[in-house]
Amino acid sequence: MLVPSPWFRLTAALLCALPVLAQVQPQDAELAERLYRSGERAYAAKAYKEALDTWGQLLQTAPRSDFAPMALLRLARHQVEVERKPDAAMPILDRLRSEYIKSPEAAEGLLMRGLLLARQARRPAELKDAMAEFNRVLDLFPDARARGEARLHLGRAWRDQGQLGRALQQFIDAFRLNAGSPVVPQAMLEAAETLDLMGDLPGCLQMLQRLRVEAPQSPEAVEATWRMAVRVKHRLQKPPFRNEGPWPTGLTKWLKTPTLLMVAPDGDLLIFQNDLDRTFRLHGSDLVQQGPSAPGTRVLINTPTSFWMVSKTGLVREDAVAAQPLGVLGAVSGAALDRWGNLWVADAKTPAISVFAPDGTARTMASPTANALAPLPTGGVVIAADADRKLLFLDGDGQPRTIVPYGKDLPAPFRYVTALASDGVGQVAALVDGGDYGEGVVLFGPDGSVLRQATFKSLGVNGRITSLALDHSGGLILCDRRNDLLIRLN
Amino acid sequence: MRLRYLLSLPLLCVVLWGQDPALKDTFVQAKALWATQGDREGATTRFDTVVARLTSKVASLEPEWTQVLCESYNWLAVLDDRSAKDRPRAQVRLQALLDLNPDFELDRALTSRRLVNLYDRMKGERFTLVKLSCQPEGGRLLVDGKPAVVLPRKFLPFGTRKLAYGRPGHAPSELTLELGPHEVKSAEFKLVRTASTITLYTQPSDVEILLDGQPLGFAIGKAGPEAAAITQALGLRPEDLSAPFIIPELAPGKHRLELRAPCFRTRILELGADLASPPADHTLEPFRMAPSKGALSVSSAWPGGELFLSGQSRGLLPVINSPVCSGPYDLLVRFPGGGFSQRITLEEDKALILEARPKPRLAFLGLEEGEFTGRARFLNQLETIGDRLQPLAFLAPRPGELPKEALARLKASREAELVLTARPIQDKVVHRVELVIATLEGEEERLIVKPLEQDPLGSLTARLNAVPPVQRPGLGVAFLDLASEPGPWVLSAPEPALKAGLLIGKSVHSVQGKSLASTQELQQRIQTAKDSLSLAQEGAKATLPLQMEALEIPLGSPSLCYPAVLAQLRLQYAGAKGDEANLIKLNLALALMQFRKYDKAIELLRDTRLSTVRGVSQGTVDFHTGLCFLYLGASYQSEAVQAFRQALKYPQATLLGPDGPLVAPLARQALEDLK
Repeated sequence: MLVPSPWFRLTAALLCALPVLAQVQPQDAELAERLYRSGERAYAAKAYKEALDTWGQLLQTAPRSDFAPMALLRLARHQVEVERKPDAAMPILDRLRSEYIKSPEAAEGLLMRGLLLARQARRPAELKDAMAEFNRVLDLFPDARARGEARLHLGRAWRDQGQLGRALQQFIDAFRLNAGSPVVPQAMLEAAETLDLMGDLPGCLQMLQRLRVEAPQSPEAVEATWRMAVRVKHRLQKPPFRNEGPWPTGLTKWLKTPTLLMVAPDGDLLIFQNDLDRTFRLHGSDLVQQGPSAPGTRVLINTPTSFWMVSKTGLVREDAVAAQPLGVLGAVSGAALDRWGNLWVADAKTPAISVFAPDGTARTMASPTANALAPLPTGGVVIAADADRKLLFLDGDGQPRTIVPYGKDLPAPFRYVTALASDGVGQVAALVDGGDYGEGVVLFGPDGSVLRQATFKSLGVNGRITSLALDHSGGLILCDRRNDLLIRLN
Repeated sequence: MRLRYLLSLPLLCVVLWGQDPALKDTFVQAKALWATQGDREGATTRFDTVVARLTSKVASLEPEWTQVLCESYNWLAVLDDRSAKDRPRAQVRLQALLDLNPDFELDRALTSRRLVNLYDRMKGERFTLVKLSCQPEGGRLLVDGKPAVVLPRKFLPFGTRKLAYGRPGHAPSELTLELGPHEVKSAEFKLVRTASTITLYTQPSDVEILLDGQPLGFAIGKAGPEAAAITQALGLRPEDLSAPFIIPELAPGKHRLELRAPCFRTRILELGADLASPPADHTLEPFRMAPSKGALSVSSAWPGGELFLSGQSRGLLPVINSPVCSGPYDLLVRFPGGGFSQRITLEEDKALILEARPKPRLAFLGLEEGEFTGRARFLNQLETIGDRLQPLAFLAPRPGELPKEALARLKASREAELVLTARPIQDKVVHRVELVIATLEGEEERLIVKPLEQDPLGSLTARLNAVPPVQRPGLGVAFLDLASEPGPWVLSAPEPALKAGLLIGKSVHSVQGKSLASTQELQQRIQTAKDSLSLAQEGAKATLPLQMEALEIPLGSPSLCYPAVLAQLRLQYAGAKGDEANLIKLNLALALMQFRKYDKAIELLRDTRLSTVRGVSQGTVDFHTGLCFLYLGASYQSEAVQAFRQALKYPQATLLGPDGPLVAPLARQALEDLK
């Protein structure tokens, strides 16, 4: 039998001991915890540099400690939430994923990584990496709290890819399997909207009602309230339009040539007054000036946080000093921002839609000349093509999903669409003119069916109506530039 | 002389026979042996037996037995003195007699003069004669704080002796005597009356006596011959009554006397002021307590329950109209799985009917080793958590039993459905304790608490108390709350509701004639309604029957403790039938899915059949079956497909509840994904 030499035995013993020596020593663990807590204290005091340095030191001195993944997660979150530098967060999250996949923090890290990837995506096909991260959270962490949120975002990704059935599965699982979690109201709202997109209006309404009962204090419950109200009013009750007269009640000649209207996501009405070259927010009965001066504004655009204007000089952001030129477009007839951040612009003299990406690049999309354009909650837009006398409901790729000839299901056809407006639930209001129908309004459902309609003659409206908006109570606001007032139809 | 003793034997037998027959027999035989046969040896042996038995418990002897012992010593001294061999022992017997009772007078007819003189001499060497005079009689004498018999001539040991004499209703009196050899002392007590006393007897005994609401004690024991005069008039024997109960100091004025005993009607007597003054001793008419009973009926849908009232078994359920003494009881029904307990009060001549639903039993196995600050407080909180739990019966740990041993015992005996263990987390300093709640089948939840928190068990208690319903009453109608409508707006309704006159697309403005604003308000009215509800809409009225609507338990909820939910459902299932039983099985399967026990969930779902097709119904069962097969992996793909196809046959089936999302689109998508 071969007997190893003493030197060999010593070397072997040292080699065997190496993994043990490499383990975190108790004093290291204690130091790691102190460093982590110290970083937390500094962060709470908003001494960010000190906090980041301390956590960085932790990662250097005790990389095997349980506090290392916690520190990495805090560093990544800081980059995203405070510094607003998602690119800087990605390498941190990559490290968390590759070196600490077994830690509980990895679930949240993967979720955050998925969210950043989803935010970077500019089209549905680019969501795959984000979806992979969400799926990892679900596959690898069966007890993680992040699962609910992962399901929610996975559902949104499926919905953005047009996979409504899969989206619904994820939304329902997000609230069914995570009762009491903060994600529940969001998931219920998404599920309700998806049910509507799938054609299940009663299911959608019941889900919205359930949301209001289960999470009455949530912002989603507020959303559910108006979304339910407008669906019931326009699609189920469908009462004939009735002219309620000047709105707010009794206010006449109180504006300076209003030309454009738009309802902001919070339900307030935005009014562009041509004589003042500015947009105003009507909150209750208070009219407050918003954003910079933008002479000749043709279009108002809703964004997730504010609003933009398209004027003669280009795109004017609420918080920007100068306008951003929009190329050769000289007769902008409508614009909308999709969920990818792309700006769709229609020009009354161009037989195409221009799409401006967030990085400034532009592309054109074949389309009939659009005289008006409004966004749809599916991610596409609806355009009015007077030349073809058709309304076209386009999907996110610009492909027409529904085509509605002017005058379909109406007593008489019209010839022109002066303006389009949409609400967040897929209903589209058109300000129409010409033909045997004449001047009036037509409200279309998400499938293009006529829900409600009326001529101005029948309503007794005599002014010059240039724009319209669908409010959150099921009413229609008309903008009368001749009489300097607003009119509400109910 | 012997003949005289022979004649007295029957009388002695009568007195002693009722107490310890064998010993008394020995004592009587000893006397008879000497009196009739002159058998000194035999008599001595038997008296020695009596002495040996009684001296071992001399401190607790009753007066009659002390007398027997004294007499035995007397006899033994006499018998020993008759034998030259045993004569020295006679003095030892007399010494023992003096130690036992120096007041005992030797039987001079039996004892020789020489022995009597010896006895008197021995007594004079240790005791002084004290001549006692106690007025009034019948009081209680204490010598050096110990009770002593009141005798006109009393022998007390040399030294300083403190004598106290007292009697109810009188001011006590004390005196101190210096006693020495060859002295005769006198002690005279003359007590002064201070208040009235009340003496009362009860039938039966063990009756609690309260005066002006304050408990004074219990009338216990049996009355002696002194009560003969009272009992004779009532046609009773003295032993039918309790021993006299004396209220010693009756303050001036009126009083309220109350007598309470379980199974008897409470007696209340108003005592007039004339009883208190002038001070005197009063003996009341004996109180004869009237029986007081109620009827108890306990039944249960769960089989195998055994009823216990305050720890006493009353047999297996159902118990119908069982006569039970009125009063408060701790009622417990032990089921093969689970228990039901309730504090009840049975009222006289009234019937109490209970339906026992078992509660799961939670056994606390103990707090594992590990010292930390606040351990005692935390342990106390754990041990008393049962007081805060409504849906669970709590079992405290057995003293000295380790958690592992307790778990093994419970697994073997199935005496509990849930177990709770607590384990300090061994950090550098223990600041956290891990609590584990588990079923005996192994489904468990862990949570970490900080023992120094104000209420570290608050969250656990709330979760254990939360029991999700699996059914709720409803109308089968879908309502919406719309700001533009005055009340709940009818979105959809089943055919019977429409036939009853309900209109879709209209709001309900009143229920049972009372106005209504929201669906939540309507739900509250439904909860409190009995069989049906009358709804009023504009121009229409409809009366709709209430029906139980199936629900799924919420999953992943932080406000529920799922092992406890499982235990609750398992018990509910044992007492349920038909659709209710199947609905509980569905929810049991959901709870098992929460623990990723898909195989066990399938076992349950496979034989779950719900007769309903709307809401949570058979389609829901089939959908969850499909999900479980999906989770089990690719080898069960065909079974999953079959289950989802089955679910599609029920287009009205929903998840969560009657207003939950439809199963069909989800099953359709699942089938699509499985292609």
